[in-house]
Amino acid sequence: MSIKTAQESGLALCPKCHKLNDMEEGADIHTTMQCTRCHGMFYPRKPHSLQYTLAWNIAALLAFIPANIYPIMIIYSVGIGDPNTILSGIGEFVDHGLYPIAAIIFTASIIVPLLKIVGLFLLVYRVHTGVRLRPDKHSKFYHALEFLGPWSMLDVFVVALLVAVVELGFVTSVSAGPAINYFTLTVIFTMIAANSFDPRLLWDKDQSNENAKEKNDC
Amino acid sequence: MNTTKDTSQLIACLQCDALYDTPILKQGQSAKCIRCGSILAERKVDSIERSFYWSLAGIMLSVPAILLPIMGVTLVGQYHHASLLDCILALIEHGFIMIATLVFLFTLAVPIVRLLGAFYITSSFKFNRLKPSLLHFFRAFHHLDNWAMLNVFMLGIVVSMYKLLDDTELSVNMGLLAFILWLICSTMAASSLDQDYIWQELENKFVD
Repeated sequence: MSIKTAQESGLALCPKCHKLNDMEEGADIHTTMQCTRCHGMFYPRKPHSLQYTLAWNIAALLAFIPANIYPIMIIYSVGIGDPNTILSGIGEFVDHGLYPIAAIIFTASIIVPLLKIVGLFLLVYRVHTGVRLRPDKHSKFYHALEFLGPWSMLDVFVVALLVAVVELGFVTSVSAGPAINYFTLTVIFTMIAANSFDPRLLWDKDQSNENAKEKNDC
Repeated sequence: MNTTKDTSQLIACLQCDALYDTPILKQGQSAKCIRCGSILAERKVDSIERSFYWSLAGIMLSVPAILLPIMGVTLVGQYHHASLLDCILALIEHGFIMIATLVFLFTLAVPIVRLLGAFYITSSFKFNRLKPSLLHFFRAFHHLDNWAMLNVFMLGIVVSMYKLLDDTELSVNMGLLAFILWLICSTMAASSLDQDYIWQELENKFVD
């Protein structure tokens, strides 16, 4: 059974208010349209979606390198500084036997950003080439990536809290390290990358493949 | 192809662009896309009332949640505590302006603006004072959907507590309770807001 899409019927969906609009005669899927309900400007498909996703993704990957090299947090006790990177912070939890917390931080600050970057690269590649594209699986995967995005901010919030709470003058204090800037950038970049990917492209490709197949069969 | 059909009788899936006839839903029902499984449309129960009261509670709770100290530490007889606002101020003091700005946006500004926005929209519906400007307001409101991170900050509080438990004496303050309640209120206010209904009503009123 083939499902008709809005695009094939000459309709376009406003991404903000979910109103279907008639596409004008001869309008391309990348022409700007104005929604009749909310009067916002939109495109039937995000233009250059793959390129934008790829670009933000590369930026995120580049920012992720210094984020792991530089210390994210410096703990001063009696005037002596002890720099902590993301990984050494996790190692400390493991040393203290706090495995669940170590697992949460490891997931939020290492696995999720990497998974998002690699996953988006994969999605862009699959959509671009159309090889082994499974829209049902891939769109679920995309939604998981989108949902996980903000949770990577966990480490930044932890550092922010520690900096504010542990402020006991000379005895102990905590300061943030340069890696926190890069790490935040990684998170923001992956979120923008995920936002600029248009999941409908997954289905468009599939639809056109199907149509081509039907034509060949005839 | 039947293009003469009225566009208000059709809906398309936001995720995969599949086209359907608009389902007629009772309160509490939702329609799913059969192709990709995402939710097409839903009618939330008692949306305006519930969202109104949750956002009102959220607005009132935001002041203690931001200003009251969340937790404190005691070490060698010295005590220090910090609130959400202190976190941002401490980051500014250490020179991390960008991080401070982003933490401010994600955990303070965006949640408050979303609560105020939900309150404004639902109160205009509740007291029947709909204005055409609401169309623009509600559209702008949707830009903030992805950027509230109170739940992540909550997890951050839990993790940093574990971090501090090890070598300091940790005390929990009233701010934590206020923050948890604030988180609940803002989550409930956002999830009980029925966007489809609001857009439909605004369209019936102002778009001809």
